[in-house]
Amino acid sequence: MATVYNWHLGREMSYPYQNGPGGWQFAAVFNTNRCIACQTCTMACKSTWTFSPGQELMWWNNVETKPYGGYPHNWDVKILELLEKANPGGQVWDATAKSDDAPYGRFEGKTIFEAADGMTQRALGYLPSEEEWKGPNNGEDVATGWSAKGAELPEHAGWFFYLQRICNHCTYPACLAACPRQAIYKRQEDGIVLIDQERCRGYRKCVEACPYKKAMYRPTTRTSEKCIACFPRVEGSDPLTQGEPMETRCMATCVGKIRLQGLVRVDETGRWVEDRQNPIYYLVHVEKVALPLYPQFGTQPNVYYIPPRWVPRAYLRQMFGPGVDHAIERYTNPSRELLAVLQLFRVTQRIIFSYAIEPGPKVGEVRINGTVREIFNDTVIGYGRDGKEIVRVTVEEPIYERPQRKTLNSI
Amino acid sequence: MKGLFAAVLQSRAWRFWLGAAAVLTIAALLQWTDTEPAETQNLTLFAYEADRDPGLDPGNSVWERAQPVQVPLSGQAATYAAGGGSVPVVSVRAVHHKGTLYLRLEWDDPTADTSSYRPEDFADAAAVEFPAQAATTVPSFCMGQPGAGVNIWHWRADSEQVLALPTEHYSNAVVDWYPSTEDLFFTARAAGNPYALNASPVQNLVAQAFGTLTPAAEQSVQGHGVYANGKWQVVFARPFSTSDPELAAFGPGTKTDVAFAVWDGSKGERDGMKSVSQFITLSISGAPLAGGGPEDWPWTVAAIALFLGLSAIGLALGWYGYREARMGR
Ligand code: SF4
Ligand code: SF4
Ligand code: SF4
Repeated sequence: MATVYNWHLGREMSYPYQNGPGGWQFAAVFNTNRCIACQTCTMACKSTWTFSPGQELMWWNNVETKPYGGYPHNWDVKILELLEKANPGGQVWDATAKSDDAPYGRFEGKTIFEAADGMTQRALGYLPSEEEWKGPNNGEDVATGWSAKGAELPEHAGWFFYLQRICNHCTYPACLAACPRQAIYKRQEDGIVLIDQERCRGYRKCVEACPYKKAMYRPTTRTSEKCIACFPRVEGSDPLTQGEPMETRCMATCVGKIRLQGLVRVDETGRWVEDRQNPIYYLVHVEKVALPLYPQFGTQPNVYYIPPRWVPRAYLRQMFGPGVDHAIERYTNPSRELLAVLQLFRVTQRIIFSYAIEPGPKVGEVRINGTVREIFNDTVIGYGRDGKEIVRVTVEEPIYERPQRKTLNSI
Repeated sequence: MKGLFAAVLQSRAWRFWLGAAAVLTIAALLQWTDTEPAETQNLTLFAYEADRDPGLDPGNSVWERAQPVQVPLSGQAATYAAGGGSVPVVSVRAVHHKGTLYLRLEWDDPTADTSSYRPEDFADAAAVEFPAQAATTVPSFCMGQPGAGVNIWHWRADSEQVLALPTEHYSNAVVDWYPSTEDLFFTARAAGNPYALNASPVQNLVAQAFGTLTPAAEQSVQGHGVYANGKWQVVFARPFSTSDPELAAFGPGTKTDVAFAVWDGSKGERDGMKSVSQFITLSISGAPLAGGGPEDWPWTVAAIALFLGLSAIGLALGWYGYREARMGR
């Protein structure tokens, strides 16, 4: 066992392998507030990668309704329960121990690596049965209760929200840690975690270990498969962008414009190298508006969520850690810069490596939590890997009027 | 009479011959009564030359003539992923025929786990391990070490089954259309994964440490498993010689180390989670397997003949000694 630094937890933890030399890391921000659960992302992934015999129960991307939905069924409740049993009452945070190195404070409990015995399991986990992989959208749109008086912020009396899930291409992947054959590897060039389909012998230790249950078994090849982060697109080998890195299928197709994906620079300790103008870096490290999913598992996942504003905070703190209150406060009353950066979601398929803002005129005022806010129509510009401009968008959506056309089927 | 015994006991030559006769008689009796040697790490498994080809059927009558060795197994606790230990013993027999070594493993298992179709299903399996020809020292029986590799023959019950499509496996499954069913869309198949290709129930593998298990270039091991009456019986077969230094080589008059492992799929056993033995000795003899011959005598007839023959020798020796003693004194 090596000792590595997990900045989500604000402390060192044990993991079977040392960090790599650093480089780029695949990362994304999902805004749960905007998702309409249309499952376009889910079908985009399915129709690209998992439409063949033996992949019927496989949804590398899925969108589940919380709190009752889960694919596989109750995956998160089961892992939380295993951890609680391993460390009764001890799975707590010290949210006061905040620093640049520990933006959410310090996790005092046990990660899945620390709660495992190391001999039979390298990460605490369980193997879901076939039944549990069926009905991927069970619990869809089911709220916790009916509030006859209607709902009001900050916490709705009856609530649900959509949780969009893909493989987190974790910095400390449990799937990789658990594979006794070292058939799983993390690429230095983009941090994407892949299962070598030639070496896999179908032991399913990765399926058992991944706390997010994003490694899946395929009976027609007797091997495990997982989300590949659409690596040909991220590499830029899709002819569409002529060598420029492109966002994945599930990101690029998102109807609700909830997703922004990119690559961030990481060092040899797994920390992010400061890159102030990278929109993902800005959202995660500067504004701290987007948070990791179940950081206490300890894998340092790389998909970050803007938490839903209306959900009871205790539930959200369990799911996203102690950074929830700050994130919701930021999102509810965004800074001028954040408001501009949020416009970058889903305006291009190309990966945005940095952004700049051109100030625009004041276009209105709104009252938020009793204070008056001025709204400016700033322009945000996204740049590609080569520093060339790839997109330009304003805070206020422009209105176009189409010239009247007189045709029979004109809409 | 006193003179007779004294004479026999005083003569060194007689002592030698008497001792030899006694050893032979005891050996014959042990064979005949099917008594097993005590469990020990110094077990030797003998492979004699069979006059008939046992083939891959574990029920072939040749196997009834080969003496089984009961090899004790225990759980694997040396490294991740530890576990197993649910099968305490495997009964192993060996013969050779026309330059091919045959091994037959038999163990108790209350369930035949032949499918790995559902995510929670693991198939029963068995493996045989030898040091590689090129090993300069005896490798660790735990998957070898760098410079002292091992050669593993691995049989898995699911590989005896056809690799069904879900619509074939589940009779009520309905699928409108699979757009593509070429190998490319079975990624592991396209990558050459032996399980995905389902080429053989037995894989010939090499390893030089934990986690390094890799298919050998030469896939020359055949095998077949049959489940009946609460037991698995699995036969492995491979020609003696090989040019690959990473593989084991055999020949009449040679000895090698051999270890065994068994997995019980319904207990979730796979990989290091297994019941495993230490190395025992495999001695490949040039001598014929007892009980052979054109008529294929029943074993008991051969044993009785051996016993009667040894008794006759004993009596003749006794009589000769008595006469010598009488004549000498
Ligand atoms: S989410 Fe699961 S499958 Fe993906 S890298 Fe992390 S541990 Fe592995
Ligand atoms: S990144 Fe690509 S492979 Fe992964 S879930 Fe999204 S579409 Fe599927
Ligand atoms: S496409 Fe976007 S809005 Fe639709 S379900 Fe997926 S994440 Fe939600």
